[in-house]
Amino acid sequence: MTTYNIDSKGTACPGPITDLIRAYRKASNGDIIILQATDPGVVPDAKAWCGMTKNELVNTKENGTEYEVTIKVTAKK
Amino acid sequence: MSVIKIAMIGSGAGGLITSSKLVAQLSEEIKQEKVSITIFDKKETQEFQPGYLEVAFRGTRPAKLKRPAENLVPRGVNVVHANCASLDIDNHQIITEKNQEKYDFDYVVVSTGCSPDYSQIPGLKEANLDFYTDADVSSRIFSTLETVKSGRIVVGIAGLPYKCPPSPNEAAFMADEYLRRHERRKNVDITFITPYTRIYTAEPINEVIEPLYSERNIESRTVFNTDSVDPAKKEITSLEGETLKYDYLFLTPPHKPAEFLKGTDFSDDEGWVKVDKKDLHITDHDYAFAIGDTNNIPTSKAGVEAHLEGIVVANNIATNISGSGSKHFFTGRTQCSMETGFHHATFVVGTYDRPVEKIKPSIMNYTEKKVMEEIYWASLHGHYEWLFKYHFKKDYFSEGTS
Repeated sequence: MTTYNIDSKGTACPGPITDLIRAYRKASNGDIIILQATDPGVVPDAKAWCGMTKNELVNTKENGTEYEVTIKVTAKK
Repeated sequence: MSVIKIAMIGSGAGGLITSSKLVAQLSEEIKQEKVSITIFDKKETQEFQPGYLEVAFRGTRPAKLKRPAENLVPRGVNVVHANCASLDIDNHQIITEKNQEKYDFDYVVVSTGCSPDYSQIPGLKEANLDFYTDADVSSRIFSTLETVKSGRIVVGIAGLPYKCPPSPNEAAFMADEYLRRHERRKNVDITFITPYTRIYTAEPINEVIEPLYSERNIESRTVFNTDSVDPAKKEITSLEGETLKYDYLFLTPPHKPAEFLKGTDFSDDEGWVKVDKKDLHITDHDYAFAIGDTNNIPTSKAGVEAHLEGIVVANNIATNISGSGSKHFFTGRTQCSMETGFHHATFVVGTYDRPVEKIKPSIMNYTEKKVMEEIYWASLHGHYEWLFKYHFKKDYFSEGTS
């Protein structure tokens, strides 16, 4: 299992979701993607993306102006 | 006193506007041979890349987009007709592909753009026709489109990143327009695919174009992550195992930076150059810069970015050399036009700090896009900087402070 730490801080939409999709392409089922961002849109966007792709949203954290989304890759064929 | 050498790697939009602006601001120093500017690029022809869509979907002749590179280089700028093989920023040295010749520099600006990377998606190259590689490849789409009477055309985003964010949507609208104008739309399906959760990633623009997709009967498949293409079966498979049949494939491939940037300590793991997003200097080097598609800042990969970033970087180099003027900081301003068909267009406008605006498609926007196309070549000589300043209300840079 690999953990991908993706730093999207300082980027606005679609930066974080673009970085998430690029990491997802490299990842395998069971891998973890931890996406850090300052754009508050990252949480709803990542939730929607997980719902639509059927990957698992493990948790989301908010620390002031920073957000962290943890996703487990589960939907790849 | 030794000559201050400025090296420009790449003679595309970014390299040319940066050179023009440097020549304008350092004319005295160049005349007195205190400063020299050299462009490194083996290309003999430059192409107007936003015109590829016109070639692909309206049948514009590829020759109309081409200009000899030598006619575009500003007077007073030297040209080395060779691509860069390696860049050693610490030791101020470029080695060219041609004969491994070495050149030293005091300042360097990397503006080498990006290009389609078909290696990421098996089968895509064999199956696809794109409007990114060059004008001649784009013309093959129009030759195909002329023969289409039925079946499914699939357009959209096959991988990230790619240049010109609105262009996959424009392809959908322009294919639709062509087929309607030729009364062949009834038996042809157009399907747009994207790995994003919306038809256009930025919500305000998505709100504008989503109704148009319904109105024009263009089908969309969001969160479709293209994994591979089977040209024999004419089938696309997603990372999640979904399949989609096509008859004609005009997808946007993922893009890659120039080869010599990969594996360097100043680029990320894919080779995109790491820069400060405001003054565009490369990591810790205040005499090295990267502009346009080739850097990793969170803006669109588009010609307008290369243009605006080039103006900022040229100003800062000239200010540093001449000792007069104020430093400029790029604001992340973007201004990408999106044709929505039938002489209408919208614009994707925003900055690092200002979200993308909701702009409705109009004939006026389309006209503005066409005017910008007409003045493109002259603008690379810096002739229309006043218009850029007026048009962008100077909000593409801030002065003096970060």
